[in-house]
Formats: sequence, structure tokens, C-alpha cells
Amino acid sequence: MTTRREFLRLMGYSAAAAATLTLWPGITRAATGSDTRFLVLMLRGGLDGLHALPPYGDPGYAQLRGPLALSPAGSTAEAAAALKLDGTFALHPALTFAQQLYQRGQLLPIPAAAPPYWGRSHFEAQDCVENGTATPDGAQTGWLNRAIAALPGAEGLAVSTVMPLMMRGAVPVATWTPPLPVRVNPILLQRLEPLYAEDPRLAPAFADALASQGGGAVMPDTMAASMPGAMPLAMDGKTMRGKAKAMGSGGRLPQLMQAAGTFMAKAEGPRIGFVEDYGWDTHANQAAILMRKLKELDNALSSFAQAAQPVWARTTLVVVTEFGRTARINGTNGTDHGTGSVMFVAGGAVAGGRVGGQWPGMRPGQLYQDRDIHATTDFRAVFKGLLAGHMGVSESTLATRVFPGSAALQPQGGLLRVARAA
Amino acid sequence: MRAESRRRAASALNRLGLGARHGELEQLGDATSWALAQSRRPAADLGVFDGLPDSLDYLRKEARLMQQRRALKRDDAGQPVPSASVRSGKPVNSLARLYARMFGDDLRHEASARWQLAARTGTPFAERLVRFWSNHFAVSVDKGPARLYAAPMEREAIRPHLDGRFYDMLLAVEQHPAMLRYLDQAQSVGPDSPLAERVDRRLARRADGQPARKLGLNENLAREIMELHTLGVGAHYTQADVTQFARALTGWSLPFPRELEQGDVQRAFKFRPFAHEPGSVTVLGKVYDQRGEDQARAILADFAVHPATAQHLATELATHCVSDVPPSGLVRHMAQAYLDSGGMLPALYAAMLEHPATWAPDARKFRTPQDLLYAGMRAGGIDPGDKPQPWEGFSMRLGQPTFMPRSPAGYTDIASDWIAPDALWKRVQVSEALAERVPRSGLDPCALAADVLGPQLGAGTDLALRRAEAPEQAVALLLASPEFQWRV
Repeated sequence: MTTRREFLRLMGYSAAAAATLTLWPGITRAATGSDTRFLVLMLRGGLDGLHALPPYGDPGYAQLRGPLALSPAGSTAEAAAALKLDGTFALHPALTFAQQLYQRGQLLPIPAAAPPYWGRSHFEAQDCVENGTATPDGAQTGWLNRAIAALPGAEGLAVSTVMPLMMRGAVPVATWTPPLPVRVNPILLQRLEPLYAEDPRLAPAFADALASQGGGAVMPDTMAASMPGAMPLAMDGKTMRGKAKAMGSGGRLPQLMQAAGTFMAKAEGPRIGFVEDYGWDTHANQAAILMRKLKELDNALSSFAQAAQPVWARTTLVVVTEFGRTARINGTNGTDHGTGSVMFVAGGAVAGGRVGGQWPGMRPGQLYQDRDIHATTDFRAVFKGLLAGHMGVSESTLATRVFPGSAALQPQGGLLRVARAA
Repeated sequence: MRAESRRRAASALNRLGLGARHGELEQLGDATSWALAQSRRPAADLGVFDGLPDSLDYLRKEARLMQQRRALKRDDAGQPVPSASVRSGKPVNSLARLYARMFGDDLRHEASARWQLAARTGTPFAERLVRFWSNHFAVSVDKGPARLYAAPMEREAIRPHLDGRFYDMLLAVEQHPAMLRYLDQAQSVGPDSPLAERVDRRLARRADGQPARKLGLNENLAREIMELHTLGVGAHYTQADVTQFARALTGWSLPFPRELEQGDVQRAFKFRPFAHEPGSVTVLGKVYDQRGEDQARAILADFAVHPATAQHLATELATHCVSDVPPSGLVRHMAQAYLDSGGMLPALYAAMLEHPATWAPDARKFRTPQDLLYAGMRAGGIDPGDKPQPWEGFSMRLGQPTFMPRSPAGYTDIASDWIAPDALWKRVQVSEALAERVPRSGLDPCALAADVLGPQLGAGTDLALRRAEAPEQAVALLLASPEFQWRV
């Protein structure tokens, strides 16, 4: 098993670490058959499941959605044709790579999914998705951290500057974003090390920072290109154009996902990853915003799949959002906060190529509170199904420690090509 | 006694203020009176905003920009211009260029003014309160239509009301273009309003089978006012309350470009009776039968002095100024004082400042990235000048770009949200970059450390500073030291 220090050095991706990797492929884990990978991509703001995965075959859909409705028939107004999956569902026109995954049997969309919290506050819903309990304040740590705790020797990586709630907890987890192009004076680090050791609140995080970055961190070349250094408040024409260009080439998310894929593809890389994205709260002009954002998501899935190619067959990833949106459009060509949304399970290990879950319908009387999609899948059932079948976490650990109080909720079966015994 | 007053002065400067400057600690006097005096005046701006357009000017310029853009799209004969330049073959991208030409200088001025004020202000507690409220009423420049108005909202809606009634600040914010656009209020239309009915009739006459783009409600602002700006997420209200309040808010909007061109516009807010949902609404069990704009005003006025709002504001301010988990006695005391005063902000501040928990030795906060930059500038005597780019760049890489929170909840100020390996690493990098900007003349890093950290300077850091091989390295060490990451 890899040691923590080795792992962190790997995160720094120093030349020495790269050389070591070539000489010492990760024999241990591969040999024991436990070398699987699991990534959560969280879309904050509330993705409209009805827009990403339009249920065009549902008789209520076109009527409630009006000008936002999408269909494989080329749909209304000027919108492009949605990508047909089956007689009921299609993918948004921007999700072309996702459609390829679906055709390869590596994408499983699950509509009408929600956390156990059915309120409409972003912040409460996100807390609930991340803490893995039935209430926003049900736990102070994240279920992904608790899952790592249940996997001996596994490391976690959050691609973010600060620790997201889902990854907070007893197990130290690496955080990573592309570093500033500044090399730190090693003497300064030497002097700071004992000082930070004296501050119990900061010491662990600082030690991890030193271990991962202190060895002369450099960015992988593939990532060095254009993290958009956007400064919207003080943007001049040049940076504005730079930002527009960066957006045009796919935005920030694909780069973060590529980084996650690069790290997780390493033989001794992190087995559990977390990436987050923002800007999914579409109260107005939803069609244009989601055209851009879903393209970004599609590019992100593709760059992750490419970067994680060596481990793709042993990988599952799940795309979640805190809630869905109203079935009806609002007065500003957008949608307000609703309940059930879509989750996407993807990866080489996934039994996809079909739409999962149960579709509750959106005709009169089928909506939750006459307003939202009635959720039929509890996120936790899917997470539990993946953690049990793909990562080998035992069901009793899942029911008591990872998702406390969820014993009555069965892990969802049938998500994977080959399920492992716990 | 001397030690105790020194400790309080350091807390006043570092925890309540934006970070101590050279020499301030010794001259501060009584810490409570120092802070109290600042909380009873509008925040001084040192003239840094002079010459900046106000929101109405920005709206007018924006209308002109759109006009120019339309003109650019047509040639003299009224034919559309091809989208690529003939000479270079590159896209003209004219909107971006026009936007940069029209607003580039203003945006740089807005940004640098804020950094300058943080570095130069002599009333740093008032300035902290400004930024606290600005974050309480968070808007994000990520949302294009709101971008120009985020900084003006702080100047126009927050600063003038810092020492007044919360309701006045609340009203100024909710009627500001920044908030109306950020939370999609400007286009929300009452489903039974005259405007919606007229559009419905027009659509009914269309026989082309196109789906109708009906006008209607958008409940985003209503929900966030209740959840984030006033009552708080734990308060007892329902989806029906949100929808009813959203109905009352319909008609709260902005002047249209056409109205701006006609020139009879006095304010950057416009109430549109035609878009307002007629009839009374019931919110939190109370019936509001006012007409027009007054209906939502009346609801806001009640929200402003609701006990849940008092509790929410007191908790948030105490969490920001005292501790991640403020003592409940302190919060109760502040909330009560606020309610007793009828919703006056100086009463809320004074209740906090006079409570012993605010000055307890274990009270401390972790510096957010922007706090760290402010404190670094102030300690090092760095003036940001009129080029905001490096500062915006630092704060973006540290995870807290100006006016760009990821949600309407604003930036968190809780330690566990900011302490992570990658974040600490970037703090070390930024400390080195800041140290390079510290003026060298007369620089004595050891004295400076004692002067800005006061009793918080630990023996280990003191020793390391003495051993540093060059002043700039010592300054980097000071700014990157664990002590400097905290507001104690």
C-alpha cells in the first residue's frame, strides 16, 4: 500500500515522482483486485434535470415546458434536436460525448433523483447531499470522507482550494488546484514548518501542503495551459477576450476534471475524487445558460475519460446536483427551485446504456406539490450501491457509518457490470 | 492592566478592524470607544470613489452600448455586417471590445478604490462592517447583467446606511439594479397583472402554433430575501409565503433603455404598476392589502424587525466578529438590543461591543483570503495604487475573488471552510509576493511583527524573524506565519 507521504508527493507531481511511477507501477492494488476509482462531480445551483435529460415522450412535458421543451424531432423554436436515448428520454443537444458513453453502455442517467431533503434552499440541500444524512445539520463531516475511512489505504482528492463538506472529516484529504506560478523559497518553508506545528488547528493542513507542494511542485504540462485567470471586476479588453476564449474552449470545469483524471489514473493515485462546479441556478434565460454549461459538462466528462483512460474500465463517476427545478417554466424563461433532478452515473465499470430509476411522470396529479418532479430515487441508494459494488465497502458500514440511519434504504443494485463482493 | 488594554487594542485592530498598521497599537486608547465611535457614522470613503459613475450613469452607458452594438451590426445601407473581419479573417467580437472600451476604466477604478480604501482607511471597523453587509447581501459579477452594479451597490446602498436603520439598507439593496438583476427580479411579472393579460391576449391571437412565451413570476429574490437577507433559513415560513411575497414584489424593476434615452429618469429603480400582481397577499399570516410598490415595502418593513431577523443578523455579525460559534448569551443580547431599538444597526453594533464575550481572550477568527490581503497591505504599508489586477488575481487564486461568491449566501467566514492544504500553500506563495511590495526604507521586520501582532506574536515566530537573512524574507515569514492567519 502506498504511504501518505508518497501519495502527497505524487500529488505534487514532481519529476522524481513521475520517474518513480514509471519504474514502479502500482502492483499491490492491481494484484489484489481492489484498484477501483470513484469520483463525485457536484454541480452547485440546482441542475434542471428536465433540460439535461428531457422526457420528451411524456405527454405532460411539452405542455409544461413551453418554449424550453426539447425533443429529438428538432423541437420548438430555434433549439437544436435533442439526442434520443429511448422512447421517453433524450439528452440535451450539447451532451454529445455523454451520448457516445451511453451508446457504449457506459452512461446510466437516473431521472427523478433527490437527496432525502425535499426543501428548496440551495444551502440546506447541498449540506444534505454532502453530509449524507436526512437533514441539513445531520452531520458535520462528509460521506465521502467517511467512505475513505472505510477503505484501508485509500486516498482522497478534492479538486478545490478549500475543503468541500463532502470531503471533510477524520481522514486527511488532499486539496489541489493549479498552483500560482511562483516558486516558494525553500528556506521560508523550513522556517514556517515548526511554527505551524505549534498551531494545532493549522498544523495538519500545513504538513500536507508541504508534503504535496514542497518538493518543487510543477503543474502537469497539459494543465499549465490557460486556467482562466479571470478578473471580471477589473477586466481590460485583453483579459476579457482571454476569458471569452477560455470559455469558448470549454471553461474551467474540463480542466479541473482533466486534473482529477490525471491524478486518479496514476497507479498509486487517489481512489476517491471530488470535483465541483457552480453556476447551475437558472432562474432566467435558461436555454442559453444551459447550452453553455452542459457543453462544459460534456467536455469535462470527455477530458476526464481521456485523462483517466488507464483506469477507466475500473472507474465509476457520479454527477449530482442539490435539487431539480420546477416542472413549469417561470415568467422569465427559466425555472425556480424544485425537487427531483437527474443524476448521471458513468464510467467503464457502469452497466449503462439505459435510463435507470422510475419515472414518476409529469401529467396533472403526478407532480410533487403540483410543482416539481416527484423524486423516486434517494441519492444515497445510488451512492451505497456504487460504494458497495464498486469500492467494496460493506453494507453494514454503509448503513451505520457512511450514511448513518440509512439501514432501511437498500443499496441500489444493477448499477455495475460486475459487482465486487464486499 | 496595561497588558489587558494592549490585548484589547490588538483585538480591535486585527479582529474588528482590517489589520493593524505600524504604530496604531500604541495609540489606540480604549478599544471599545474606538470601535463604537466608528459604528455611529457613515463609513468614510477618503474620496476614493470620486469621479465614478453612479448606477443611473451606468444604466445610461449600457443603453448607449447596446445602441452602438446595433449600429455596428448594420452597414450604412442597413445590411448586416459579416461577423468576421475582412482583413484578418478573425471574428470582430465587437461587443467585448465595445464593453472594454466603455467600462474598462470604470471597472478598474471601482476595483482599485476598494483595495485602496482597505489599505488606507483610518476607520477599519466601519470598513469591516461595510464589507460584512456587502457580503450579507451578496451579488456576483459572474452574472453578466449584474456585473457593473456590484461595486456601486456597496457605495450606494450599504455605506450610507451603515449607521442607520436596517430597513433602510434592506430597501436600498433590494431596489438596487445589482440585486434586481442578480436575483432575476427585474423581469418578474404578476401572472394576473395588466401586462401579463395583454401579452396573453396578443399570444392568443397568434395562430402559428408556436408555444407561448408567457410572462410570469420569478420567485428567486423573494426566497433569498427571506432565507438570506432577513428571517434566515431556520425561520418558520412556507413555500406559500415565498410565492405570496414574490407576487408582492412584482413590478420592482429598472428603467428600460428607451426610457433612459428619453431622459426623464431620476432613479436606477422603477416600479412598473402594469407588471404588478393586483390584490392582497398573505405573508407569515398577515394580510397586506397595500397597492403597488408599498405592498412589498410593508412586508420588508415587517421582516426587518421580525425576531427571526434579529436572531439571524445577530448570529451572523457575532460569528463574523467574535467566533465561529459565538456564545449564545452574546447573540441574545445583540438580538434583543436590535429589537428594542426598532431595528437600528448602531444598537446591534453597540450591544456586541459592550458585551464581555466580544473581548474574551479565546475569541478569534481565521482570516479569509481578502482579510489576509487587507491585513498584509496594512502591516506592510503597501499601497495598492490604481492597478487592481494583482490584488484581484491574488484573491482569486486564494479562493475569494471580489464580488464573485458562488452563491447568494456570500462567502463563508468559518475557519474550517478556509483551512485546507492547497489554500495554506497559496497563502505562503502570496505572502512572498506581498513581501516584495513592502517599502524597504526603515523596515524593521521584528519591530513590525511586535507592533502589528501585539501580544499574539509567539516566541517561535519572533525567533525565526530574528534569524531571517534579509528583511523581505522576514516580512514574508511574518505574513505567512500562523499567527498572521488569525484575527485574534
